[in-house]
Amino acid sequence: MVRKQFSRRTGYCCVRKQLEGIWHTSIVVHKDEFFFGSGGISSCPPGGTLLGPPDSVVDVGSTEVTEELFLEYLSSLGESLFRSEAYNLFEHNCNTFTNEVAQFLTGRKIPSYITDLPSEILSTPFGQALRPLLDSIQIQPPGGSPVGRPNGQS
Amino acid sequence: MAENGESSGPPRPSRGPAAAQGPASAPAEPKIIKVTVKTPKEKEEFAVPENSSVQQFKEAISKRFKSQTDQLVLIFAGKILKDQDTLIQHGIHDGLTVHLVIKSQNRPQGQSTQPSNAAGTNTTSASTPRSNSTSISTNSNPFGLGSLGGLAGLSSLGLSSTNFSELQNQMQQQLLSSPEMMIQIMENPFVQSMLSNPDLMRQLIMANPQMQQLIQRNPEISHLLNNPDIMRQTLEIARNPAMMQEMMRNQDLALSNLESIPGGYNALRRMYTDIQEPMLNAAQEQFGGNPFASVGSSSSSGEGTQPSRTENRDPLPNPWAPPPATQSSATTSTTTSSGSGSGSSSNSATGNTVAAANYVASIFSTPGMQSLLQQITENPQLIQNMLSAPYMRSMMQSLSQNPDLAAQMMLNSPVFTANPQLQEQMRPQLPAFLQQMQNPDTLSAMSNPRAMQALMQIQQGLQTLATEAPGLIPSFTPGVGVGVLGTAIGPVGPVTPIGPIGPIVPFTPIGPIGPIGPTGPAGPGSTGSGGPPGPTVSSSTPNETTSPTSESGPNQQFIQQMVQALAGANPPQLPNPEVRFQQQLEQLNAMGFLNREANLQALIATGGDINAAIERLLGSQPS
Repeated sequence: MVRKQFSRRTGYCCVRKQLEGIWHTSIVVHKDEFFFGSGGISSCPPGGTLLGPPDSVVDVGSTEVTEELFLEYLSSLGESLFRSEAYNLFEHNCNTFTNEVAQFLTGRKIPSYITDLPSEILSTPFGQALRPLLDSIQIQPPGGSPVGRPNGQS
Repeated sequence: MAENGESSGPPRPSRGPAAAQGPASAPAEPKIIKVTVKTPKEKEEFAVPENSSVQQFKEAISKRFKSQTDQLVLIFAGKILKDQDTLIQHGIHDGLTVHLVIKSQNRPQGQSTQPSNAAGTNTTSASTPRSNSTSISTNSNPFGLGSLGGLAGLSSLGLSSTNFSELQNQMQQQLLSSPEMMIQIMENPFVQSMLSNPDLMRQLIMANPQMQQLIQRNPEISHLLNNPDIMRQTLEIARNPAMMQEMMRNQDLALSNLESIPGGYNALRRMYTDIQEPMLNAAQEQFGGNPFASVGSSSSSGEGTQPSRTENRDPLPNPWAPPPATQSSATTSTTTSSGSGSGSSSNSATGNTVAAANYVASIFSTPGMQSLLQQITENPQLIQNMLSAPYMRSMMQSLSQNPDLAAQMMLNSPVFTANPQLQEQMRPQLPAFLQQMQNPDTLSAMSNPRAMQALMQIQQGLQTLATEAPGLIPSFTPGVGVGVLGTAIGPVGPVTPIGPIGPIVPFTPIGPIGPIGPTGPAGPGSTGSGGPPGPTVSSSTPNETTSPTSESGPNQQFIQQMVQALAGANPPQLPNPEVRFQQQLEQLNAMGFLNREANLQALIATGGDINAAIERLLGSQPS
């Protein structure tokens, strides 16, 4: 069983678009939660980051992929596509990761309102104005441990 | 939400007429579909017939991704595609994406491995942090050369008079954690020849008192060590880093399999606590690491039946396994590398008490080492520390008990490769030689800078003689002379005799002059006869690097003359082996070993140890 969790953080900030939240997503598989932050791919027990238990859980499906295979996959990802340096708040963030992994595991994507969030924000003038600032934000929810990196960064 | 993966791109008209004509393969409309295969790192498009099997698909993939088909794992819609399925069965149509994971080495599906072939430890683990500096670990080099150099170098770099053992441990860790270094070490033919001597391995292991305890408690271990086949095999494995890795992996897998057997986990734990931990401690003390991490575990791989874990274990406490929890200290190694010329040259033998004496040789041929050696004289304390390190002692002991080993080591040195005659000469001297090494006087003399300086003077004198009175000493090269007398580890290079003290090797004179114990090296003229004092220096004379080339003939004669002159003053202490071993020979005869020649050889080789001799004799018989 694969569950997906969101953490809900309210973000209003004068965007003039009601945002329900700025979603941080992670994916829970084989009783471990995996997410991508500025420190690269990390894992923790479900709900184990500082953000606490999820706001909503979306069941993405079930997978046959074994844990070992999955971890190997993750470490390949961690070396290629999801290195810690690759983190970008808008374009290559935790939701990107969750989406990618969900597809790998089940073939399904995560709900589009999550993945569309960055473009929504950027479509506002406010968002564009703030973009340089926002780009530099690096989010790494504490509480996880790195996955699959040879030198154990962060 | 029920999308089945991404679209790979504009859908191709793959069901065009061309497809309808059927490109080879199956009957009934084999349409070619384009399927995207996506790995974590890349993605590629493949055109395959619609009704192909997963197996065929994998074959096409394996070519493009340059892997083997059994390394490929295809995942679609959360399912792992098995070889005998077909693409259609999983609903893989044109334009869809299949995920691929290329398994690096392990087969995560819990396939049972051959536990009996699992090697003990992981020599070259690729993921350890690299220390590109090389630490000179002076692990019990019997002749103290490399270690001296290393230590001196280190001290000069600010690590003055630390506890040698600690230092060495650190250095070993550093060394071990660098896979490149390990590879280099392993590739050194000398090391390999070392490793290929099962007797030696066994001895070294047995020399460790904790190992002895362990063996008492677990007799299976002694079986392991005593079985030459096993030893040989594990040594072979140890020599081959790639194989080691394979073995390690197999072992790990077998272990994990074992865990899942009901009750198996308990067995594992028991084995761990019984065997692994003590070994760990034993090894840690010596090597500061956990070489037996997988050794202990190897004992449980297989079916948990103890005899079957024959070839799992690398009997050699494998210091080349970077312990998982090791903190490599970067201090010593980095400073060393700055002190010693090129990084590769300052590799040194580590871990294995059977260090690589040859390493020392290669080390010495660098100018960096030369300067290091100079510093040796400046810090005798270091030498003392080093020589008194416990494993040095055990190394010495094992060497003295096993003259063959020492012979091998010495004779493999480049010094001797150029001169088989030297080898022959040295061979019989080895037991005595080793005795000397154990002599505490030797050690203290070695650490006495003045003594070494005196020896230098001697050599200088010899050289002067050679130039001034060539007739007296026909083509005498002091280096060679002295080298013949004892250096086991002199670099063959062009190092001049004078100059930085070369490998400081205690040597014994050739011939009947046995250990001239406490008469001490001292300066010229201190020896019995009045002859040129060079070769007479007894226990510890630092020897220069040797140039054992073509002048060895006349030099040998000269030296022999000198030696014989001295022999007059010192009664031979090594009587004829036959006489020495008279009693043992009789015992062997009584036991039924009637081949006197062979008995004698065996006794000589084992230095009079009857049990070892018997084993040798038995081992040499066809079995």
